Amino acid sequence: MATVLAGNGAAAWGFRLSRVQCYPYYPITPSTACSQQISRWVNDGAMEAVTINAESEHSAASQIITAGKSVRAGTATSSKGLLYMIEVLENAAGGGVPCGLYIGNRATGAPINIWADNSDAYAMRDSGVIQIFAADAQEALDNIIQGYRIAEDLRVRLPFAVNLRGFTGTHAYEGVEIPKQEEVDRYLAPFVPIYPLFAPEKPVTYGAMLSAYPYRRHKRNQMAALSHASEVALKSGREFAEKLGRSYGLFEWIGDEKAKLVVALLGESACAGEVVTRHLQGKEGIPGVALLKIRLFSPFPAKEIAQALHQAGTKALVVLDEGLHHGGVLPPLAQRVATAIHLHLGGQGPKVASVIGGLGGSEVRQDHFQLMFNLADNIAEGKPYRPEPYWLDIDEDPIFAEREDQVSPKLWKKWGEIWKKQKRKEKFCAPIPPDAHEIRIYSRAGQGAITSAVGFTGAGIQNGYQLLTVPAFGSERRGAIITTDTLINFHKERKIRSFTRAWDVVILYDDTILQSPEHQVLEGLKEGGALLVNSSRLSVKKIREILNANEERVKVFTVPAGEISQRLGLGHLNMPMLGALHKVYEKVPFKTALSYYEKHVPRPREVSLESIKQGFAETSDQEVKKVKKERRLSVSQDFLDWRPEDHSQESWPSALEEVQL
Amino acid sequence: MTDEQQALPSPNRYKEFVVTGSLVAMRDRQDSAAPKEIERSQDQSGKFLHAAEILTIEEVARQPVDGIDTPRILSEMADIGPEARLFLYRPEGKVIRYEVFEDPRICPEIHRGAVIENLQEKPKDVSGWSTHEFFIDIKGCLGDECGRCAIMCPENAIHLMGKGKGSFHEIDPLACKGCFICWVECVRTAADCILVDGKTFDPIMRAKHFGE
Repeated sequence: MATVLAGNGAAAWGFRLSRVQCYPYYPITPSTACSQQISRWVNDGAMEAVTINAESEHSAASQIITAGKSVRAGTATSSKGLLYMIEVLENAAGGGVPCGLYIGNRATGAPINIWADNSDAYAMRDSGVIQIFAADAQEALDNIIQGYRIAEDLRVRLPFAVNLRGFTGTHAYEGVEIPKQEEVDRYLAPFVPIYPLFAPEKPVTYGAMLSAYPYRRHKRNQMAALSHASEVALKSGREFAEKLGRSYGLFEWIGDEKAKLVVALLGESACAGEVVTRHLQGKEGIPGVALLKIRLFSPFPAKEIAQALHQAGTKALVVLDEGLHHGGVLPPLAQRVATAIHLHLGGQGPKVASVIGGLGGSEVRQDHFQLMFNLADNIAEGKPYRPEPYWLDIDEDPIFAEREDQVSPKLWKKWGEIWKKQKRKEKFCAPIPPDAHEIRIYSRAGQGAITSAVGFTGAGIQNGYQLLTVPAFGSERRGAIITTDTLINFHKERKIRSFTRAWDVVILYDDTILQSPEHQVLEGLKEGGALLVNSSRLSVKKIREILNANEERVKVFTVPAGEISQRLGLGHLNMPMLGALHKVYEKVPFKTALSYYEKHVPRPREVSLESIKQGFAETSDQEVKKVKKERRLSVSQDFLDWRPEDHSQESWPSALEEVQL
Repeated sequence: MTDEQQALPSPNRYKEFVVTGSLVAMRDRQDSAAPKEIERSQDQSGKFLHAAEILTIEEVARQPVDGIDTPRILSEMADIGPEARLFLYRPEGKVIRYEVFEDPRICPEIHRGAVIENLQEKPKDVSGWSTHEFFIDIKGCLGDECGRCAIMCPENAIHLMGKGKGSFHEIDPLACKGCFICWVECVRTAADCILVDGKTFDPIMRAKHFGE
């Protein structure tokens, strides 16, 4: 059965199952949890490895290179940390050291941005490292194991990096099949060094100075080895399917075999594209569509991709890049794809348009993919298009514009003619009906919403569904309002890994969120959806009043979770709220879920289980008879209503006298 | 000492900390409940690493390897052609792993990863660089009691010959580039030890190098 893991945890399992012997690290968001998990395993004796607390990423990279000469070595990093490693990573590639990196992709400042895009991976693309992109936690785990297999192949012997999108990949909890150690051992043989350090019979020098003649000859060899990686990746992907049951190629072609319109991209954002492709496939008036999810970015499988496009008879290709190529003609992926088509297909190949999106944690949503397929369709019809990248989600510079006043006047001068000819088509852009159930939790940072959502995910997976929990992370401080989203997919064979943001259930961990001006809790909630509020002071009626919503609009439930946890001495809300969720959302039956919680709830187990049960029992959509008096500090309504930006009030409303009671 | 002593929990196996009032002192651990050290494999064979061998088809044919099906390997290598290599890992003489592969290198004289195999590295003939000939006189050399010249030589051109009392150093004339470093560094100030162009002492040279 699948285990609930976040992308980082899955990557840590990848290193553990590959029997990594040396793991130096310098943690950086969003890949920290991988290193954390490994150092815990090493400390507990579950993993026989040497971990090193490096003093910087530069040192961590130097240490994997040194270790990688003799043993199997790996590390994890992100963003600026990776940029700091690049200086030494070229030595890993030049020295033919087969070490491994796991990268939680993240933007590179300035400005500082901790969220996802591919800037860091693009920055390392010229360092000679094999770059593999994973789309979810399972792929991250599998790709790390395969990465060592590819990197240590005798025809390759180069470092590799497995990339996973930050947060939506690295921090998204989902069901992951952890292979058995024996299975992995059968696939991945122990590390054997060719030129180890400290081998008395064959002492060697690494990184000696070479002058032009041997240097250029060495670089020729290095390039030859890297180009073999693509062939080896294909072979080891096939063998992985034989021995571990999941197949991997150089890229994944999702959709119609004869796809006239194709969108190409790297990594996790493909999950939203998959939903759109499936939706558009076979619709009336829409030619074949497909998504080209590229797994191997370096060495780029140019010939294979060109062949696939040729065989499909693709007319138009839109390439999405989640990173920039400053000063370049096209962003890195688009440039590689366009070059591949130009070299291998010449004038016979599809037309290529480039789109930049998903920068700095921007989500590439389903409607974005609809726009991209629409753009591809227009291009296939022979409409003119920009010879420079389009941008996603910039209001002043949309892909399609109906009116002139909608766009930046500067741009209208430049691209007006193209905008006039390009049409937005309803058959592509009609909203996609949700195919899964979605739950959103609004909570304050530190209240434990993620813990309860992860527990629920595990229970749902045990129940035979596919679940995904994506918490929002950011610059929140303890007490700020954050969201945690869970998706419940009832199809076993069909992967859904993208939110439509139409909530079936919305949960508030704190009734004061009802009054937060920044959060409209009913926004996105389906008609007749459920709202669960942790409150012992507000009645259902009162909540309806605050929200100004009738019974058809929303079913309101309340649970006195604070009281329950106080009564049981638990100190946090997540366990009673987890029980309450089962009352509100009945697709994951409470009875079967309890059998999962009995094994998996956090300590103290008995108290946690009891609070789950009480939370379930005390959740109600009826008026609670005895609304208890608020137990915390009683403050005046003025106090609650006051906002720092509110200048209408002359001074801080004094509630001190009441508090002193 | 009137204050009560209190031991702090310590993860150290040998020492613990004691708090007396506001003072913290370290002492040997007194209770037996020292934390256990995590057992790691005590396999001594892991201490030194063994290099793998990479053999060409000629090398395999010349000397059949015990423990592998040599004829089959040879035919497999013949299928690949002259670029075929046998990867052989036999840490204690016993073959643990072997694999036939095609050498990916285009320029075959450069090792993978531009690695230099130190024992196979032949010294370059740099004798043409030197303007003077250097020679160590056996009579003056302190042999293995000293060895300073051999350590200091940037070209690794000086080798210790013999052992104990009769030992002496020798300069490889092909590797010597005539840099005077041994001559400057000699603990005997090259008095009757290092001959330059057959002379032991040359005041002009001394003045140039020692400022005498």
